[in-house]
Amino acid sequence: MSGPKTEGAALADIEALIADFQASGMRELHVRSGEFEIYLSADASAPGLGAQAVAVRVEPVAPAAAAPAAEAPASAAIPAAAPSSLPDNAVIVRAPYLGTFYRAPKPGSPVYVDVGSVVTADTEMCLVEVMKLFTAVRAGLSGTVHAILATDGAMVEADQPLFAVIPG
Amino acid sequence: MAVNRLFIANRGEIALRIVRAAQGLNTQTVVGISDADRGSAAARLADRALVLGPGPAAKSYLDPRLVVHAAKAAGCDALHPGYGFLSERSILPRLCAEHGIAFVGPEPDMIDALGDKLQARAMAKAAGVPLVPGSEEIASAADARREGDRIGYPVLLKASAGGGGRGMVIANNANEVEAGFHKASAEALAAFNDGRLFMERFVPEARHVEVQLMGDGTGKVVHFGERDCSVQRRYQKLVEEAPCTAMPDRVRKQLHEAAVALAASVHYRNAGTAEFLYDVAREEVYFIEVNARIQVEHPVSEMITGFDLVQEQIRIAGGSALSVAQDDVRVTGHAIECRINAEDVGKGFIPVPGRITGWQVPTGEGIRLDSHMSEGAMIPPFYDSMIGKLIVHGSDRADAVAKLTEALDAFKVEGVPTTIDLHRRIVRHPDFIENRIHTRWLEQTLLASPE
Repeated sequence: MSGPKTEGAALADIEALIADFQASGMRELHVRSGEFEIYLSADASAPGLGAQAVAVRVEPVAPAAAAPAAEAPASAAIPAAAPSSLPDNAVIVRAPYLGTFYRAPKPGSPVYVDVGSVVTADTEMCLVEVMKLFTAVRAGLSGTVHAILATDGAMVEADQPLFAVIPG
Repeated sequence: MAVNRLFIANRGEIALRIVRAAQGLNTQTVVGISDADRGSAAARLADRALVLGPGPAAKSYLDPRLVVHAAKAAGCDALHPGYGFLSERSILPRLCAEHGIAFVGPEPDMIDALGDKLQARAMAKAAGVPLVPGSEEIASAADARREGDRIGYPVLLKASAGGGGRGMVIANNANEVEAGFHKASAEALAAFNDGRLFMERFVPEARHVEVQLMGDGTGKVVHFGERDCSVQRRYQKLVEEAPCTAMPDRVRKQLHEAAVALAASVHYRNAGTAEFLYDVAREEVYFIEVNARIQVEHPVSEMITGFDLVQEQIRIAGGSALSVAQDDVRVTGHAIECRINAEDVGKGFIPVPGRITGWQVPTGEGIRLDSHMSEGAMIPPFYDSMIGKLIVHGSDRADAVAKLTEALDAFKVEGVPTTIDLHRRIVRHPDFIENRIHTRWLEQTLLASPE
């Protein structure tokens, strides 16, 4: 922290400290510098420091949507249904490469397909994006979508099952 | 008033580049990062790093409110957007202004005007800058046919809101131009929510040349020479050099004057690049667009002029006048930059994220590497595939090509495929050595021939 050390700590510095705290994953932080003292806790029911101290309930900066994916991208993808429970004749449509799985062409648009959708070989089923390269994944066969096996917006690995299609 | 604490709203090599430039000015640095970039070089080198949000850019680097909120919370008095991400979205400087933060770039209205190609063409025309022979806005297929017949085929239909090669359709004759009109306007509407089109004559063997500009908002504008960025794939630059040696001095002078006249006429502030087509056969330059940001390839201009363009950007954002007069800018030697991307060239240039397991870099006089990578570094799957820029400076073009060839041979990356081997082929190709290239050379000649 730069800036004032004692009384009159700039509001901006306190805000920045809170942001750092939120980002750090720490549970509690207690800072005392001269007259200035602050206690931060990620737990709203934390007791605080008493009369002079400030307890701040810290909300996440942004919705904690996908798990941090940089270190182990595959771990963020949780299949919505285990392929083992699928009918024997189901054909699995897989991810062409590691990337983010999108069910709609852009945020807010209708999804390409849903469970029960009838597809042909050329039907675009989803987008997989890696590093700004978007690839439309086509069904590759005619049939009906039986299950969606990946979560919209999640990271998927190369060859990870995305859809189960019942031929017909 | 000089910038005291600078927020860097970007990542990768440019975030690191900006941190270093700021440190050279004794400016404090705060970099806004995503969760995926916690261990990044910029985050480590900056005085502070604030996590904006999770890895996906839409939830971190591309959220203007989040970015400006973080800059404000960190007590920053200026914000540098780098290139890409929010750098040419006028909402960012508008939010900065609301919060009393100086934006390192032009005014928001200027960004909007330049981002609209029809408006940019009108500005250029008003400043007497030569345009690619073309049309005003095209309203119908019949319009397209009439204009195509007038301009002469082939023509290029372009989206007014487009850029980077997106929203462009080539038409070789009157039938194609009518079909092309419908295709291009539908694509433009889908991609940019703006279906307006215009038409330009298609120049088959063109070079891409551009002029580095810097203005202080008073109408004073200095140029730092031109760059030649003709080695491209799908309108994405791969190799950039300065100066353009394929151009007579008469044309070069005209190019510089046109670019400065355009920027001066609108009192341009901060760094910008005026892009032109150079029709080699006709020895004519035509204006394409202005990029209202620092560009990826700015280092080649720095290498031949000796100026630090990012520091100059920060000074101007702090309210200083230009520290450089045109007569101070002298071009020395020749510089070439190769973009090193984590891509599998053999598989259609597919980007490949992953961990760098080996990183041996070339060093020596006249060699500069702008990169945020190191052994053990992670390339996240969320962002651009560029992992560095290798820049060399030689006494002339031949010397620079020789140095670059050696430097590329000494550059070893393990863990992910890269474009280094492609660059090694490019710099050894007789067309590149003899500088007989144009914007479609890479795709039509080098990539079309067997390895």
